[in-house]
Amino acid sequence: MSALIATGGILFLTVLGVPLFIIMSLAALVAFSFSGVQISAVAQEFYRISSAPTLVTIPLFTLAGYLMAESRSPQRLLRLTEAGLGWMPGGISIVALVVCAFFTAFTGASGVTIIALGGLIYPILVKDGYSEKYALGAITASGSLGLLFPPSLPIILYGLVAKVDIDKLFKAAIVPGMVIMIILSLYSIYNSPKSSVKKTFVLKNFFAALKDAWLEAILPIGVLVGIYGGYVTVTEAAAFTAFYVFVIEVFIYRDLSLNKDVPRVIIESMSLVGGILLILCCALGFTNFLVDEEIPTKIFALMKIYLTDKYSFLFFLNIFLLIVGCLMDIFSAIIVVVPLIIPISAEFGIDPIHLAIIFLANLEIGYLTPPVGINLFITSFRFKKPITEIYRASFPFMILLIIALMIITYIPDLSMFWFK
Amino acid sequence: MGIVRKIDWAVDKLSSHLLVVSVLVILVFSTLSIVLRWFHINLQWIEPMVRHLVFVCAFLGGVLATGKGTHIGIDLVGKFVEAQNWHNLKTWIARLIMFSSFGVLLWLIKAGIDFTIIEREFTKDAGLGVLQSGDLVAIIPIGLSLIALRFFLLLILSFEGDKI
Repeated sequence: MSALIATGGILFLTVLGVPLFIIMSLAALVAFSFSGVQISAVAQEFYRISSAPTLVTIPLFTLAGYLMAESRSPQRLLRLTEAGLGWMPGGISIVALVVCAFFTAFTGASGVTIIALGGLIYPILVKDGYSEKYALGAITASGSLGLLFPPSLPIILYGLVAKVDIDKLFKAAIVPGMVIMIILSLYSIYNSPKSSVKKTFVLKNFFAALKDAWLEAILPIGVLVGIYGGYVTVTEAAAFTAFYVFVIEVFIYRDLSLNKDVPRVIIESMSLVGGILLILCCALGFTNFLVDEEIPTKIFALMKIYLTDKYSFLFFLNIFLLIVGCLMDIFSAIIVVVPLIIPISAEFGIDPIHLAIIFLANLEIGYLTPPVGINLFITSFRFKKPITEIYRASFPFMILLIIALMIITYIPDLSMFWFK
Repeated sequence: MGIVRKIDWAVDKLSSHLLVVSVLVILVFSTLSIVLRWFHINLQWIEPMVRHLVFVCAFLGGVLATGKGTHIGIDLVGKFVEAQNWHNLKTWIARLIMFSSFGVLLWLIKAGIDFTIIEREFTKDAGLGVLQSGDLVAIIPIGLSLIALRFFLLLILSFEGDKI
């Protein structure tokens, strides 16, 4: 009876909006107390996170992303991609997708992309003849588009929580990420305004833009070559990336001042990182308790009655994760849900790397799933539009992303061919 | 309320400054350790120091997120209440959130102190010179205390105006 009251109380506080790290701590404290374990075990679980060698990648990559977002880097990269891709049908919209994916990969889809780039991209799309509805939908969808590209923060967090090699996850996510980009690019081409002025590729303009932005444009390539060329580990890549971005934005481009801007950006980025790491610390105790109590095994036994094979499980998993994605943000979902679904998925014969990609692709869609997908609110806030208008605008993009998700889920080779 | 506001301001400033210094130290030393390795110089204390500084940053970032109200949560009721423009109810929900968060944090601080006492009894080398594992785990109760203090101060300040 008391367990039921405690569960009800925790659920009540959760929907009320109590910070998730408090909820997870409370759940762990209550669970440990009920099972007679000393509550100091909760603090011990906290401390365990400080021994993870890849932990430092989270603040460093996030700092790099925030430094770039706060500099004039979005303008430079936008100019470069426009000069390179703007001549194609739907080119401007594809430019928006590419630049947003670049920034989301570094900032972890925390809303920064929509805030930092939305204001730049929206007028360009509308001026080029795209409808307002399309522009709003594209920006909302683009806000989480780079989640599957290295050095995406959710991938790093997933690797930490699921104890899967982060560099393997980076590699596995590239092709599924490209599938999503291609599907959305085709939609951009289909929607390209017939009336817009035909642009031509001008080599001189492209080189001028490249000269301006090359220091930033080489960054994702540098990270990939560094890690997969065996030159640096993921942790070292994070340190180099953050240091490199710091030096170019402060001392070379001089977009950010060392005294005023850098401390402000550090504080902004670390508020996000602090929130994520606190949830990670607090959730470890509770999720380990659930695993110790063999809760996933019990859920699996129950599922086995209704789900007979891998494919029916994958279908159920997708629906479950889409619901999770529109209720929870991606970081909380990774920390809370992943430890529970990993053992169940393993029983159904799903590779942990493929599971990671399915999970992240689902959560990417969750960002724009009504009623509470966070990108919908950020776009509504940023452009001062009613939320229902944003629902309508992003609906076609959501459908396309679900099609991409089905492809990623049922063709595991897209993620796994690297490892065969 | 003036003194409460000043304490809240001081906690915010202290946390912000410590956070900026910690992040810059992490950045410089992480890069330095890689560069030094090229010259076959291995300073073994850098890695545990950086890891523990990241741990410190988690709490300091938490203090700032508390002040800004940007902690991650599943705010279903809050969003609904906001959409209905029920300002009074929203204010009381915010107070309830702060009060319950403060209460849970006190329980967590107790867990942190218990753990620190146990760890100090069986303290071991943490690779950071004079600092032993028993000293380093004190980051947990101290960090949690700062967050709890912030929730408490904000709760008091919430009674200053009509809205939060």
